[in-house]
Amino acid sequence: MTRITLTVNGRKHVVEAEPRRLLADVLREDCGLTGVHIGCAHGACGCCTVHVDGSPRLSCLTFAVQMDGRAIRTVEDLGGTEATHPLQQAFRRNHALQCGYCTPGFLMALLPFVEAQVSAGQMPDDDEIREAMSGNICRCTGYQGIVEAVRETIGDALAAKTEAAQ
Amino acid sequence: MRPKEFVYHRARDLDHALALLAEHGEEARPISGGQSLVPMMNLRLARPDHLVDVNDLGLDEIREEAGALHVGAMVRHERYLTDPLIRRHLPALLEAVHWIGHPTIRRNGTLGGSLCHADPTAELPAMAVLHGARIVLASTAGRREVAACDFFKGAYMTDVQPGEMLVSVIFPCPQGAHSGAFEELGERLGDFAMGSFGVVLEHEGGVIRRAATVCGGAKMTPIRLPEIEAALQGQTLAGLDAAALGDRVTGLIAPAGDFQVSAEYRRALIGELAGRALQRARDIALNAQP
Ligand SMILES: Cc1cc2nc3c(=O)[nH]c(=O)nc-3n(C[C@H](O)[C@H](O)[C@H](O)COP(=O)(O)OP(=O)(O)OC[C@H]3O[C@@H](n4cnc5c(N)ncnc54)[C@H](O)[C@@H]3O)c2cc1C
Ligand code: FES
Ligand code: FES
Repeated sequence: MTRITLTVNGRKHVVEAEPRRLLADVLREDCGLTGVHIGCAHGACGCCTVHVDGSPRLSCLTFAVQMDGRAIRTVEDLGGTEATHPLQQAFRRNHALQCGYCTPGFLMALLPFVEAQVSAGQMPDDDEIREAMSGNICRCTGYQGIVEAVRETIGDALAAKTEAAQ
Repeated sequence: MRPKEFVYHRARDLDHALALLAEHGEEARPISGGQSLVPMMNLRLARPDHLVDVNDLGLDEIREEAGALHVGAMVRHERYLTDPLIRRHLPALLEAVHWIGHPTIRRNGTLGGSLCHADPTAELPAMAVLHGARIVLASTAGRREVAACDFFKGAYMTDVQPGEMLVSVIFPCPQGAHSGAFEELGERLGDFAMGSFGVVLEHEGGVIRRAATVCGGAKMTPIRLPEIEAALQGQTLAGLDAAALGDRVTGLIAPAGDFQVSAEYRRALIGELAGRALQRARDIALNAQP
């Protein structure tokens, strides 16, 4: 057993973990963050995407011991149980989820992309959006709703920026 | 599934990593991005007793020296997409990197990991072979350099010995005016390729001085095609018949079939990709002519 300290969604967790335990399992079982979904456990579906020091990473391809001292962010930190984050709200409006199993992974993979586009003041085309989410599999929606949710979130943020500038 | 038990070591620096690898020999594996090793461990296709984490070693420089780019083992795939030295000197590699997995994979995976994993159709091993790269391996006994064409021994097999790790790769830069292109086809965006083809043309006054080619999927390791390179040398860019050369590629290779594609399909596919890559490399070179 190895003792590690993780800062998860701003809270410190001290965990005793066997080296072979995946970050995904520790987040779910030791930290109670069941928004971290495990679809495949070999990197193919993107469900388990979290942020490590702000950068997307698959928590099923990461051992928790490797993360000692690092800051982890999971979907729970986005908009809480009411899912109030603008990207989550846009998912709801655009039917970007049905069963919702894949949704935490899509949100965590897409959020840095959305933020980068907004801060660069540009609207990506559909191919760029599909590339940004190409590591995530959804078996329900057919993806179009997700593309539209991304476009709407960026569009709203850009409009708000223009308005604020005037 | 989940991995079997192992001992985790976090190396402080290169010497520490090499000492750990020497101590544990065959039982130890370096872990860098974990993007190939951890899936293999989760599926229990890999069962190392000791993992040596090399993420604190630095080794992430891209540096130009004596007509070559020295790229550190820990350079993550996404770095190439914005690096000015790569853009200037290795345009075929820049194109190839777009085909590696997905954004999250490219952000975390490393050059050393990709080469040592040695998937038969992985892009970076193909680029090492295309550019005649030299692979720098270190151990407590010292350093040695291996030519890329001797480094890859088979599917998932390389020349790395127990106790050794890859520290950098030396890519000789194409000389003078040059262009490069890379084509591949996978089942979906980000999947491993069913076949691929890369080319570099060095040219002067509208004539090809020297050409390099690489074929992914024709064998269990990336291969050069000397016959095609010889046919390209001395050709004018304007007179280059890319489709005909693509057909010649088809005649030179004998790929295997697998669960995805038949041998015949793959042979035709690689020929087609060769034609497209050659055509684009030619067009890029012609457009750059004064
Ligand atoms: C869903 C998915 C899709 C992918 N698609 C592609 C693709 O299309 N094309 C592609 O090329 N790759 C693809 N990959 C693999 C990816 O590029 C990996 O990053 C790469 O193959 C391994 O790099 P790594 O740093 O993650 O290595 P690791 O997984 O850490 O290690 C891989 C192997 O190399 C050894 N190793 C690592 N570093 C060193 C070193 N410095 N010296 C000696 N040995 C070392 C390890 O012991 C292990 O055996 C994909 C991966 C996933 C999960
Ligand atoms: S569970 Fe991690 S990618 Fe599928
Ligand atoms: S909503 Fe069901 S898998 Fe995506």
